[in-house]
Amino acid sequence: MLKTLRLAALMSVITLSPFGLAAAQADGLNVVASFSIIGDFARNVGGDRVNITTIVGPDGDAHVYEPSPADATAMAKAHVVLVNGLHFEGFLQRLVEASGTKATVVELTKGITPLEFKPEFAEEDEGHETAEAGAEHDPGNIDPHAFQSIANAKIYVANIADAFCAADAAGCDSYKANAAAYAGKLDALEKHVKDAVAAIPPEKRTIITSHDAFGYFEHEYGLVFRAPEGISTEAEPSAADVAKLIDQVREEKAAAVFVENITNQRLIEQIASETGLKIGGTLYSDALSPADGPASTYIDLMKHNIATIKGAILGS
Amino acid sequence: MTNPCLVFHDVTLGYNRHPAVHHLSGTVEAGSLTAVVGANGSGKSTLMKGIIGVLKPMDGEIVNAGQASIAYLPQQSELDRTFPARVIDLVSLGLWPRRGLLGRIRPEDREALTKALSAVGLEDFEKRPIDTLSGGQLQRALFARVLAQDAELILLDEPFNAIDAKTVVDLVALIKRWHGENRTVMVVVHDLNLVREHFPETLLLARQPVAWGNTAEALKPENLLRARRFDEAWREDAPWCEPEDNHADADGHGHHGHSHEHDGHRHSGTHAA
Amino acid sequence: MYELLIAPFVDYGFMQRALAGCLMLSLSGCPVGVFLMLRRMSLTGDAMAHAILPGAAAGFLLYGLQIIPMTIGGLVAGVIVAMAAGIVSQLTIQKEDASMAAFYLISLAVGVLIVSVRGSSVDLMHVLFGTVLALNDEALSLIAIIAAITLVLLGIFWRALVAECMDPLFLRSVSWLGTPVHFIFLGLVVLNLVGGFQALGTLLSVGLMMLPAAAARFWSARVGPMCLLAILIGFLSCVAGLLLSYHASLPSGPSIILSAGAIYGLSILFGTRGILNTRVRHHRHRTA
Repeated sequence: MLKTLRLAALMSVITLSPFGLAAAQADGLNVVASFSIIGDFARNVGGDRVNITTIVGPDGDAHVYEPSPADATAMAKAHVVLVNGLHFEGFLQRLVEASGTKATVVELTKGITPLEFKPEFAEEDEGHETAEAGAEHDPGNIDPHAFQSIANAKIYVANIADAFCAADAAGCDSYKANAAAYAGKLDALEKHVKDAVAAIPPEKRTIITSHDAFGYFEHEYGLVFRAPEGISTEAEPSAADVAKLIDQVREEKAAAVFVENITNQRLIEQIASETGLKIGGTLYSDALSPADGPASTYIDLMKHNIATIKGAILGS
Repeated sequence: MTNPCLVFHDVTLGYNRHPAVHHLSGTVEAGSLTAVVGANGSGKSTLMKGIIGVLKPMDGEIVNAGQASIAYLPQQSELDRTFPARVIDLVSLGLWPRRGLLGRIRPEDREALTKALSAVGLEDFEKRPIDTLSGGQLQRALFARVLAQDAELILLDEPFNAIDAKTVVDLVALIKRWHGENRTVMVVVHDLNLVREHFPETLLLARQPVAWGNTAEALKPENLLRARRFDEAWREDAPWCEPEDNHADADGHGHHGHSHEHDGHRHSGTHAA
Repeated sequence: MYELLIAPFVDYGFMQRALAGCLMLSLSGCPVGVFLMLRRMSLTGDAMAHAILPGAAAGFLLYGLQIIPMTIGGLVAGVIVAMAAGIVSQLTIQKEDASMAAFYLISLAVGVLIVSVRGSSVDLMHVLFGTVLALNDEALSLIAIIAAITLVLLGIFWRALVAECMDPLFLRSVSWLGTPVHFIFLGLVVLNLVGGFQALGTLLSVGLMMLPAAAARFWSARVGPMCLLAILIGFLSCVAGLLLSYHASLPSGPSIILSAGAIYGLSILFGTRGILNTRVRHHRHRTA
């Protein structure tokens, strides 16, 4: 029922929106970014010449996001639409069709080498996909979180610059210059991350986390991410679940645990104290934090994550 | 000479402004054995409740002259018969006045309890759960509790209700023993033959005290007739009781019969048959 | 056998704590449950568990999942409801069951209101389902203190409690303790429920309070032994439940309560005052 209502609202907005279409170049390039990290990249590349609308904002979950009529309007008015691709955005197909946008939809993962989910994380993501609309399943279990590798991020940035150039040739020089500058920052960031990892003793590089997003990070930088055994999001874990997780920590010699989806904070504390680990803190995997948070830009996000991980490992 | 145990000063006891006992004055002598008699609803149980303090008088006061310890056997026990207790547990409640909340139960206490149980003929019943007792046995156990309380003033409210004849005989013997031990005893009884046979004094109640004194005197036919005319029901339209209507007791003794000729004023119209 | 029964508790700290917390709760909660049952107030436990809610919810919303504010809030709410219900039933024609029902419903509604103003039903679930697997030092201390207070008060007021249950009119005729003891008892009920909800959540803590008591009824004919037996049954349920949760991967709280439930079922059938012993006809009888 609700879905029908939203679709109806969507359609009514869309039929009226063509009247709002402005001339592209005059007000700047209208860019729609599918989620906050891409939005951040786009801002860095586009500078003043672009008006960016981000669909899935900070702290949002692109897997389960339901677009609103405002999103459709933005989409319709856009000149360039930047998306992650690899089935990261569950809502995208419908939104593009519904909005009838004339903009180019650019998949920023073009050019990266996709990785598959590790088996233990694979089901997690599948759970996400089935959660919405039950539409496209990727039977190959490709991990879409390519942006967790900074090398890939640079490819994203390059793709963005190309897309902007194609849509707005006049600003191309500006875009390229911005992209180059930002790529430089990303290089520094990468060095920072690698140094941080190097500072962690090799035997302490295993982390248990329920986030399924760090496959590319692991591949690039050498930390090992494992899914927690037993504990799920249910309100009432069994003793067996807790014991399994404690065993896993001990056996795999995990050095930190990040399981924010356990709703019971005290349970995490109990597990942490029994295994001698420090409680992890928050990792940002799929979205930026709000502006006042510690991960409001991509660079901040990566810095925050590695600092948090390092702190948890070395602090315990 | 006279040794008052209880003194009633123009006592009115009742519920919700309706009196159940109306203007009772007089004295209960220490060591006396009094039967409290009257029709249903005539105020007997209410009087008992007033004496033990559960019910506060609407007017007047009741004085426990000698600060006597009181044992009370209610007409309808609030005893939970399904409570997991044995007879001995029930009877040992009677030790409360002496041992209180924390006092240790001493060997002499246990002896007293055993004696109390034999006095009522329940020697072998100590470990029996109370939900296995018959009506008579339970009543006797409650009597044993009263015994254990070793009180100076004993109030029994219809103790012979639904009791077999043999038990009645036994309990009457017990009451007489108390009388012999110079305890003050007041017993609500319905069986007038029993009263005439065993009780030296009688208080005949019909909301008002109709007669109070020597049993033969109190239970004269005229008195009984007057008591029978008592109107049991509460009347919402009954006139308010004015101070000049009651007769305060002039002398301190309780042995004069008080007959109040209020019949004409008190009842608004209908007389009880 | 060792692997099955002992090893889980030896190997894991959280199992030891869970056991400790649970055992202490049984120690104090089960006798309270026996008296509740004997006073025909068995459902009061459930009512009080709901009555506690607004206080605990308020504490949770103001301070998060912190033990102390939630406990204090729960205590305050519970005490208010218990006292109000008690006073009304003592002074008016209303009996205890109705007055308790009235006040706990009011309290529950207030609780839902508080939560709806800030928070969602998920937060309410946090309050409802504690987990015995996550008893930190604070929680254990709280449970220990509550157990100590309960046992001390039960010890001191034992006679009055029994007398008040058995024959309240008699007690009133010999002592003024009847009414205060009644309220002290209600206070103990609230205290133990509040302690219980830290470990098991409000609903399940009632289960640990009432089920062993109900089971003990089928075995004993005296209050004292009944209380001891209830404690023992509580202990057994805790151990069995935790082991069940460990070996069969079941949620801990319900496992404990179901273990108690199993013992209850067996008691109904096989207890000395159970069905088989009282209802089944025997072929021989004595002469006296």
